[in-house]
Amino acid sequence: MKHLLVIFLTLSLNTVLAHDDEHANLGDRATELKDEGKSKDIHPSLDEIRKMHPEFLLHRRDQTLRQGVRTQRDSLKGCVDCHSSTKNDEYVPINAPDQFCSTCHQKVGISLDCFSCHRTTPKEGL
Amino acid sequence: MNKELNRRDFLKNTTAVTAGVATIASGITLTTFAANDNPVTNEKRWGMLVDTNKLTESNINDMVNACQEENGWGSEIHSTGHQKPSWIKKIKVKDKVTGKIDMLPMMCQHCEHPPCVDVCPTNASMKREDGIVLVDKHLCIGCRYCMMACPYDARSFVHEDLSNQKEHMPRGKGTVESCTMCVHRVDKGEMPACAEAVSSNGVIFGDLYDANSKINQTLRKIQSTQIRADLNLNTGVRYSGI
Amino acid sequence: MNIRYQQIEGRSLGFYALVAGLGVLILTALGSVYFMEHHGHYVTGMNNRIVWGIPHVFALFLIIAASGALNVASIASVFQNKLYKPLSRLSGLVSLALLAGGLMVLVLDLGRPDRLIVAMTEYNFKSIFAWNIILYNGFFVIVAVYLWMMFERRMNKFSRKIGIAAFIWRLVLTTGTGSIFGLLVARHTYDAMIMAPKFIVMSFSFGLAFFILILIASYKWGDRPLGDVILNRLRNLLGVFVAAVLYFVIVFHIGNIYLAENNNVEMILFANGSIYTNLFWYGQIILGSIVPLILIYHPAVKGNRSVLGLASILVIIGGIVQMYVLIVGGQAYPLEMFPGKEILEGYGDIVVYTPSFPEIALGVGGLALALVVVTLLVKFLPFLPESLADKVADPHHKI
Repeated sequence: MKHLLVIFLTLSLNTVLAHDDEHANLGDRATELKDEGKSKDIHPSLDEIRKMHPEFLLHRRDQTLRQGVRTQRDSLKGCVDCHSSTKNDEYVPINAPDQFCSTCHQKVGISLDCFSCHRTTPKEGL
Repeated sequence: MNKELNRRDFLKNTTAVTAGVATIASGITLTTFAANDNPVTNEKRWGMLVDTNKLTESNINDMVNACQEENGWGSEIHSTGHQKPSWIKKIKVKDKVTGKIDMLPMMCQHCEHPPCVDVCPTNASMKREDGIVLVDKHLCIGCRYCMMACPYDARSFVHEDLSNQKEHMPRGKGTVESCTMCVHRVDKGEMPACAEAVSSNGVIFGDLYDANSKINQTLRKIQSTQIRADLNLNTGVRYSGI
Repeated sequence: MNIRYQQIEGRSLGFYALVAGLGVLILTALGSVYFMEHHGHYVTGMNNRIVWGIPHVFALFLIIAASGALNVASIASVFQNKLYKPLSRLSGLVSLALLAGGLMVLVLDLGRPDRLIVAMTEYNFKSIFAWNIILYNGFFVIVAVYLWMMFERRMNKFSRKIGIAAFIWRLVLTTGTGSIFGLLVARHTYDAMIMAPKFIVMSFSFGLAFFILILIASYKWGDRPLGDVILNRLRNLLGVFVAAVLYFVIVFHIGNIYLAENNNVEMILFANGSIYTNLFWYGQIILGSIVPLILIYHPAVKGNRSVLGLASILVIIGGIVQMYVLIVGGQAYPLEMFPGKEILEGYGDIVVYTPSFPEIALGVGGLALALVVVTLLVKFLPFLPESLADKVADPHHKI
């Protein structure tokens, strides 16, 4: 019982800390927007997007694929567009280690299946 | 019959379109978003009419190339022979009696009653309300039963890891794929890439239900056929000249 | 006389060698799966025309054999045949083991085996494949309960009821497996509901062949008495089943030849000298049906159990060949898209399929898994009667 409590507390503490974490690699466009103070326009609540992004994406994915609803809001393309970073004038795949998606996903040990099919960098070319 | 029943929806949609057109002045982007916010409905049925008499061999080659270019298939490195994907292919047939030779492009026929959708265990194979048949690659487990069921050899299985996919066309190892009738373009009000690649009237794309559409009007006038019409699948892609 | 069941000792060198050998085969299969999934299916011989290859040959073979292996138990409990009663436990075990092996192969060949959970959560009830997932899982449960009823003395009285349920379930299951092909309207080589009864009869034959082999082997290697009464009954039963399969094959193909639209396909498959022609005539018909029938019914070798074992092995090999001709051969010939026209370009070739090592290893691994499950479980649980000597098995037997 005591063990379980310790584990539980450690986990919750981790979650709290994770929330405080400044993101190591936000991506080029996202950093710009943040510096301009516009990030709140896109993600009104950081907690929400951190916690709920799988649901948002899932909802959007079914709407887009099955019903043909194509808006930028909550699209995976949108995530990739802003959160990709460049290196030597070339985009680094967003699922590469230490890039935006993988930093968190590795930390919490949840595998990322989007990019076995989806493009990992914004549009064709830079 | 369906269309009669849906008159109210139809009116609603017409208003939406009018609203969309009204905003043109304030910016194109707004228009496209407005049009894309509504789920597609069964008031439309997208289809294509291929007139083999008007298509030259190079027309068909152009169609294949345009599809590859648009959707990013065909540059697989490891797959060999029949392992290579082919969303659209050029087929040359000869009549056994007369010796007449025809050439035609062959792709997913976007059936109204698609066998691939019936057999898919996970609902990955699916048909949109507007008649476009797609694979939901999120649900596809790669069992290939749909490929067994397709009467048109229209589907391909991705045999290797891919990267640098087109932004609008996710594709990945271990799942099945096929012609999407360029759904990403159709939703923006554009034509499929293959239809656009032919400048003559060899390929007509449009709404089969719409009495004012070119495809509807042409189909009323000329003799056309469905491939494997015996199966009663009511295909969205029609051919004339064969 | 009461039948006493006893675990096998399982300490001999032979036992360990058998388990180790099968283990190596299973590990090879798992290694192959990793290789195939890591690289993608381009490392296999399968392609967009031969979409189902060797793994499916083995998987479907094992699955239909599984439902057939339950027959001995069914005959005992459903049809109340006392002679088969002592064999019921083993029959249930062989059945479960074969199904486990078959399903392993089927699942590990998927393009995305990591998404197996999707197959459990997303059902398309129009899909015969989805129905089969339910049928296979249900079969596991029912046969497991059936075994429990047989093992637990207090529950014995229910074993007949569960036995009937299992028997009906297995008939539905094989009907479902046959319908995977029988309902493919697009393909002339499959589209016929005779596939369902044909698969049921095939399952009787393949399943019994497995059962006989395992029975002979375990009593020989375990030094337990096994009388001729039981074996002769099983021998006759196998003969009837093999002949019945042959009948269905003949009816199926004659029906196909009669339909003009299928003439081409039938000719290519059975008379043009391709690999499928040879496999059909030499493998399926001669080696897998006619020779076993001779071995079973010829007076000179009647009662010889090595010959019965050989006949069973031939039935199994013939069965695998039959599945190969059916699955791979059925896809090799192009679909008939343009009646009255000859396809010059772009489609229409007869596809050559060259299975790669990993695929074959995966298929064989499924077989090995089934055998290792049987081998280990007869060691840990009392599946086998201590003696199946004639006087035990059949009290009225006169010597």
